[in-house]
Parts: sequence; C-alpha cells; structure tokens
Amino acid sequence: MVFSSLVFLFAYLPITLLAYYLVPRQGRNIFLFIINLIFYGWGEPKLVLLMVFNIFFNYIGGYLVDKYRSDEKKKKLFLILTCVLDIGILAVFKYTGMITETLNMLPFLNIPELQISLPIGISFYTFQTMSYVIDVYRDDAPVSKSFINFGTYVALFPQLIAGPIVRYRDVAYQLTHRRETIEQFTKGVLLFMVGLGKKVLIANQMGTLTSAIFATTDENGVVGTWAGIIAYTFQIYFDFSGYSDMACGLGNMLGFEFLKNFNYPYIARSITDFWRRWHISLSTWFKEYVYIPLGGNRKGAKRQIINLLVVWGLTGLWHGAAYNFILWGLYYGLLLILEKFVLKRFLEKLPSFIQHLYTLFAVIIGWGLFYFTDMSQLGEFFVDLFNFGNGICGEQAFNLILNYLPLLIVAAVASTPIGAKLYARISGTKFIWIPETLFCIVVLLISTASLVDQSYNPFLYFRF
Amino acid sequence: MYSKDNSSKYFKYLPAFVFLIFIFGMAVWFLFNPKSEYSSAEKRYLSEFPKVSAESVLNGKFGTEFESYFADQFPSRSFWVGLNAYYNLDIGNNGANGVYNCKNGYLINKPVSTDNQIKKNTQAIIDFKNSVDTPVTAMFVPSTGYIAQDVLPSVHNEYNDDEYFESSSKAFAENGIDFVDLRQTFKDAYKSGSQLYYKTDHHWTTLGAYTAYNELCRQLDITPAPKDKFKVETYGGFYGTTYSTSGFWFTQPDNIEIWNNPENTDKNINVKITEGKNTEEYGSMYFYNHLKEDDKYPVFIDGNHALTEITNSNADGGTILLVKDSFSHSLVPFLAENYSKIILVDMRYYKSRVARIVKEENPERILFLYGIDNLATDTDLVWIN
Repeated sequence: MVFSSLVFLFAYLPITLLAYYLVPRQGRNIFLFIINLIFYGWGEPKLVLLMVFNIFFNYIGGYLVDKYRSDEKKKKLFLILTCVLDIGILAVFKYTGMITETLNMLPFLNIPELQISLPIGISFYTFQTMSYVIDVYRDDAPVSKSFINFGTYVALFPQLIAGPIVRYRDVAYQLTHRRETIEQFTKGVLLFMVGLGKKVLIANQMGTLTSAIFATTDENGVVGTWAGIIAYTFQIYFDFSGYSDMACGLGNMLGFEFLKNFNYPYIARSITDFWRRWHISLSTWFKEYVYIPLGGNRKGAKRQIINLLVVWGLTGLWHGAAYNFILWGLYYGLLLILEKFVLKRFLEKLPSFIQHLYTLFAVIIGWGLFYFTDMSQLGEFFVDLFNFGNGICGEQAFNLILNYLPLLIVAAVASTPIGAKLYARISGTKFIWIPETLFCIVVLLISTASLVDQSYNPFLYFRF
Repeated sequence: MYSKDNSSKYFKYLPAFVFLIFIFGMAVWFLFNPKSEYSSAEKRYLSEFPKVSAESVLNGKFGTEFESYFADQFPSRSFWVGLNAYYNLDIGNNGANGVYNCKNGYLINKPVSTDNQIKKNTQAIIDFKNSVDTPVTAMFVPSTGYIAQDVLPSVHNEYNDDEYFESSSKAFAENGIDFVDLRQTFKDAYKSGSQLYYKTDHHWTTLGAYTAYNELCRQLDITPAPKDKFKVETYGGFYGTTYSTSGFWFTQPDNIEIWNNPENTDKNINVKITEGKNTEEYGSMYFYNHLKEDDKYPVFIDGNHALTEITNSNADGGTILLVKDSFSHSLVPFLAENYSKIILVDMRYYKSRVARIVKEENPERILFLYGIDNLATDTDLVWIN
C-alpha cells in the first residue's frame, strides 16, 4: 500500500487513527505492530513472514550481543552472525538475478535464472535492523526488552517501505515514552499535506512529462533531452522527499518524531554539500556503519580514497540491482574524492552561482545514470545531451515543455527554501491557521481528484 | 480580549480538523454510497467487492482487487475526474488527458502517435485487393484536429494526416485501388462553415457523412441522393466519446441529426444484425432507443456489430461490401439509396473469413472505410487476409 492511494487515505488511515487513539496507551504498540503487518502484507502477504523472521532474528541477535556484553569474542560472533544473515537475505532477494546474469556472461556457465520478486522495503528495514544490532554492540543503544516494541519499530508503517531509515537509538525512548499531543498531530497533518502535494501534484506530473519526452528519444533535440532529464530530476526529488515528508507527518500523528531526511538538496554548492542534504538517513547510515568502521579518513589519503569508493559503490548498489546504479554510486564517489582533494579550494573562491551551477550539472548528469538502466540507451542519452545534429528542440518536446512550464517553475521554486522561509516569517502570527487550512483543503481536493483520475500510481522508490 | 485569544488557540488546530473531517467523511460516504455496476461514461463494468477466501487474501489478490474496487466505487467519481481535468487545463496543460479543450466548445483527440499501424493496415488492404477480383475502393476520414485547425489550442502537436494520406494514396494507386481523398473536400466545406465533426465526439456529423457520400459517389460515378430527399430530425443532448474521456463536464452537448428519407419504411428496408450465431432483423436503420443515452451515435444501425446487412428493395444498384469502423454508420443510410444490399463487416468483432462473403455475395464493389485515427490504432484489419 502506498500513502498516495485512495485506499490508504480514505480507508486504512482513518481506521488506523481512530483505533490507535481508542486503544489504551499500553496497547498502542501491539496495535501498531499488527496494523503495520496488514499495511505491509496488503499486496503480498507471504512476504510478511520474511519480515517477521527478520525482526525475530535481529531481536535475538541483539539479545545475545547484550547478554555476552563482557565476552568480547562471543559478542562479536553474534554481531557478525546477525549481520551476515541480514545481508545474506537482502542479497538473495535483491541481487540473485543480477549475480546469475553476470555469471552467465562466462561462456561455460549457464545457470537457470531464478525469478525472485523484490520484497517491498527490504532494503530499508534490513538497514534499520542492522543499525539496531550494531548499536547494541557498540553500546550506542539500549537492548530492546520487548519483541513487540522492537517489531513496532522495524515495521512502523510510516517509514516501512520507503524510509527514512530510522535508527533504533533515535526512537528507542519514543517507543515506550511518547506522548501524543494535538500540537504534534497538527504539525504532522501539515507535513503530510506538504508531502502528499509534492508526490501527487508535482512528482507524478513530472513523471508523466519525463516518460512523454523520453518516449521519443531520437526526436527531442538538445533542449528536449535536457528538459526530459530536468523533469526527472524534479520527479525523483519530489517523489522521494514527498514520501519522507508524509512518513514524518504520519509519525507525528502517532506521536513519533523522525529526523529530517532531505534539506533542499538542489541548492547545494558542492557534491559534498549535496550528500549532506539528500537522503540524509542513508548517507548517515553508510557513514556510521561502513565508512567510519573502515577507518574513514584516519588512515591516510590512500585508504580514505579506497574507503570512499567502497562506500559509494555500495550506496549505488543499494539503490538497485543493476550496473548503472553501481556506476551512479561510483560517479558520486569519484566526484567526492575530487572535491576533497582538488576542487574544494577552487570551488570556494568561485562566485556562488557557479558553485550552484556546477553542482546542479553534476547532479542532473547523475540522474541520467540513474534513469537509463540500459547501457546503450544511456550512451545515446549522453550523445543527445550535447549533439545539435538532432536539432535544438523537437516539436513534441517543445509542446510538452510549454504545457508543463508553470509546473516546472513551481517545482524549481519549491526546490528552494523560499517557501519555508516565508512560512517561518508568518508562522508565529495569529492568523496562520487561515493559509494553513486553505493549503490543506487545496492539496486534499486536487490530490484526491488526481488519484481518482489515475488509479495507476506506482512509487518510484519501491525498486530499492 | 481573553475570549479572543482563546478562540485563536483552537483555530490553530483547524488544519488537522479539516484533514480528519475530510478523510473520515469520505470514508463514511464511501460506506453508504450506493455502489454502481456499470460506468456509462467509461463504457465498462466497475469492479465489485472482491471475493474473500483464505487463498485470495494470502496471495494478495484480495488486496489488489480491493484497491481497484475502492477506486472504481469512490463517491462522486465524475466530480473528481472533472476537477482533475479543469485543474490541469488551468495550470496550462491542455490535453493532459488526451483531449484538447478547443475554441467553440470542441473537444478534440490529440494526434495519434507517429509510431502507428497505418502502413501495416494500408498493406493489408492492398494484399486483400490482390486476392480478389472485385474492384476495391478505400476512403479514410481525416482527423478532426487536421480539419478544424483554427480551433486548436495554441500549443498542440501536429496532425500528420497529410503524410498518412499521401503515402497510403500512393500505395493504393500503384496497386489499382481507388482512393477517395477527402482532405480538400472537407477543408473547403469546413471553411464555408459546415460542421463536419461533432464537438464532443470523435465521429463526423451526418452532414460530414453526407459530404463524404457525395465525394464517394462522384468518384464511383453514381448519382448521389439529393439533400431535399431527406427530412432532417434534430436531437439535442448528445455527449460523445471525447466528452466522456476528457472530463470537461462544462462543455455544451452536441445535436445529432438524422436525415430520414420518408419513403423508407419497413416494407423496403431490412436490417439484419449478426453477432456470433445470433441474427436479428429490423425494419429501420435508425435505433431511436439509443437517443435516451448520453452517447447517441449508436442511433445509426445500432452501433458496432460484427456483421450488419442492410437491404433496400427500392434501390437500383447491386451489392456493396464495406469493411469499416463506426464512421460508416452514419454514412450507410445515404449509401442505401444507391445499393440494394450493403454488407458491413467490422474486423474488430468479425472472426470469419471475409473472402467467403465475397465469394457468396459477389459484391460489385468493396469499400474500406476508416477514420484515420482508428486506422492508426487498429490491429484487427490485418486479419482480413
């Protein structure tokens, strides 16, 4: 089930909210645990078992790590066992196809291809459960005393299928001690509305524009091709950050407070800056659980470069089981290395608009690597970006750009903190509820209209 | 002063209140809203509440089907579709749903994709022609957007009818097929103020069909029935296909005209409709019961059927075989003035061999009549060979 669907908005959510607040406080976690499983199992109920299994062995893993806290060897053994099982399951369900395909390229091998469908959200919840065991091992988080509470944390529906990746230590206290308030609920509603608007009113439209333009790749011309990839740049940001906003908003409605996952990434002045603003929970995860354990920057420049490449290769691979994602990850790894060791000094002296331009250019090219999973299409795309031989702008592409111009402008403005700054200025005033309420009404009406119109509404981030 | 502060304290929760009212309100409305079986605007049966069984729940079928049930039975669906349509129009995206909202109340389908079936279908007609001895004529109807250029929105995709007509007509000429090219005739008639197409439907009007009939007769060298032979009946409230797909509910309905020859009665007219093994006979080409519906176009020969045979014992000519789409429906009443027997085959539904009809009925001519937009998407015509 996705948040931006009629069933979620008008059946699951009202029932869940009503029941949640009717259930006495002690029962709320177990209620959430059950309702989460229904949410998760809606499309493919069998995969609930996999998730419950995952919750179970990580809970046990955490318990054992804690139990042998004084026995360094056993403690480490249980940590490694749990992590290997976590990564093993993720690898089987996510990367089997990719691995067999790669091995089959060898002339003497012919492994039959297994059709394993990717369980929704597995990349997200695996990372969450791993963070728990590692944190318990490092003594950064208390061991969970209750299987139900731990299960509620892993399967919490707001962040279950598309993040943010919430670390156990960030919500451990909230799991047992949260106090829901109307203030927080209202804040959650507003955040949810922002997210729903981003997803349905901007990202979906940008998605239509992207696929309309790339439906005819050879007729677009240079401007058309750029417009297509810029539309995709907007789509992926509004889709993903909209989803994160909805997740945080729903969390608020249930009394939780999650950390921010996006911080206006497209106004970054460098790639380093961009990755501090984009999918923050993921970069934090890799930094804490991979980069720093590998030695980070403490073991000399050579080792740091290797560490960065490992982290970014893995980051790419996390996004999808295809080589273009690894390429995309390494592309960022290389850019970050380049910035750290060479570019940083020069970049900082340049006027800020050039810094922005450089960053946006690199990011947009990056989304090209991300969008075209087929290597030959990817090659053609890069030629189309700079080859005026195909004309400046195809007729259809030009018409599409004109049709979507107002939305493209809205998307561009909404990618900057202008709106948030304006809101911060007036948010203390007495009549702030008027624009807030109007905003809710508009987003609710237009989103519902759009969702009724298009019953087809797949989420981009399900692939991960 | 105190009370004022107090009220604003509660007003700040209004967004949450509105949100809850909305989602709970719609949920309750959904529960009590009578469910409908059929959507006439979409011409399809709506999903019903899915069967619950251990198996369907466990394999996820129930979840998926419940979602489509929920979307299909959502309260006041057409209101939401309309809101979405006008919202997209207002933010500058005319044609977001495949239909342009044009001047003078025209709702016109966007041009067909350049990657289409026209070449394949043209070749199918040629191949069929080469397999029979009967003379073959083809007539394609230009798309509304190509003829009514002046009403299109300023940002619109090009209608490539010229390219399609020229390549087909060249291929037909090389293979001895007469091609009735309606482009100039229609452009001239449109310029002189004739309404050749409906505003809310993709079909041509009865006047459009009559204009094409005249051109066809000229090329076949037969005398068309004069206009004054017909009594024009006009019916209002026609909401056609582009209306229902677009969601532009504020558009004015069309009038639909029936040009009725008063001399025709059930004494001389016989309409035989065959669908599968079932054949029914009627004494008129007009099926007035369809005027009760929003989409009134099936008033002509009862709409699409696999095989329709029209005989007119008053007509002098012989038999003509039409391989056609629905554009022909409003044209055959005119053609029936000339041919004593018209056999209409709709390849979308007719699954037997057309060559056998040719052999048995020995028609004096075979006419392929398609709207160019239909020809671009049709994947059934190729089965004629």
